[in-house]
Amino acid sequence: MKTDRILKLMKFLFWLIFIALCFNAGSLIYILFKGKYVSLEGSKSIYVDPDLFDHSELRTTWYYISIILITTLLALKAYIAYLVTKIFTKVDFNNPFNTTTAKLLIKISRIALVTGVLVVTINSLYMWLNNKALVDILMKPYEEGSGEFLFLAGVIFVIAQIFKKGTEIQSENKLTI
Amino acid sequence: MPIIVNLDVMMAKRKMSLNELSEKVGVTLSNLSILKTGKAKAIRFSTLEAICKALNCQPSDILEFVSDS
Repeated sequence: MKTDRILKLMKFLFWLIFIALCFNAGSLIYILFKGKYVSLEGSKSIYVDPDLFDHSELRTTWYYISIILITTLLALKAYIAYLVTKIFTKVDFNNPFNTTTAKLLIKISRIALVTGVLVVTINSLYMWLNNKALVDILMKPYEEGSGEFLFLAGVIFVIAQIFKKGTEIQSENKLTI
Repeated sequence: MPIIVNLDVMMAKRKMSLNELSEKVGVTLSNLSILKTGKAKAIRFSTLEAICKALNCQPSDILEFVSDS
């Protein structure tokens, strides 16, 4: 009963996280189009500020690359949250060891790995831009936590493999007469 | 799969239906059906013993090994 309540709460939280991340990604897409078709100067967000980019010829290019990378990152995080909500809808907690859940867990670990690599890429890009003086020194790396994402991807992958093995053993037991 | 289950052959020889065998052996109809159609992954010795008693036969009459090559 306690577990059921916790799982319901987790399901609700992950739906909230998914909606929030979708909203963030959508707002960045809006800012991207606003910057392109209206005015770059008014296109600020909490993630990227065009004023912090050096006023060079490639300013717009780097600004757009940053927005696209961060939007992709938010979309990936939203997808991970969506896959977790999918576990809650698809899994039968009376019989949890099935191939669907194992596949979902493996998928989550792969997406988490890609997300971690993307965060590393964004951080490296910002550091490179900083070194080349193409962005303001005040502009910090997008997110510290790329290592944590990669660590999390590894942990989820191991859990997914154990789950997959459990599914195989359960299936074999079911077909033992 | 290299192990072939010839349960239907023995059942035909002893003129026994799946229902009858299921009652004698104490295994559900669906599980016996899984065994008969070769979808089973494993069989317990206790089940094999019960089937051999019910059909008055040897394990080799029910299980056959055929090499993949």
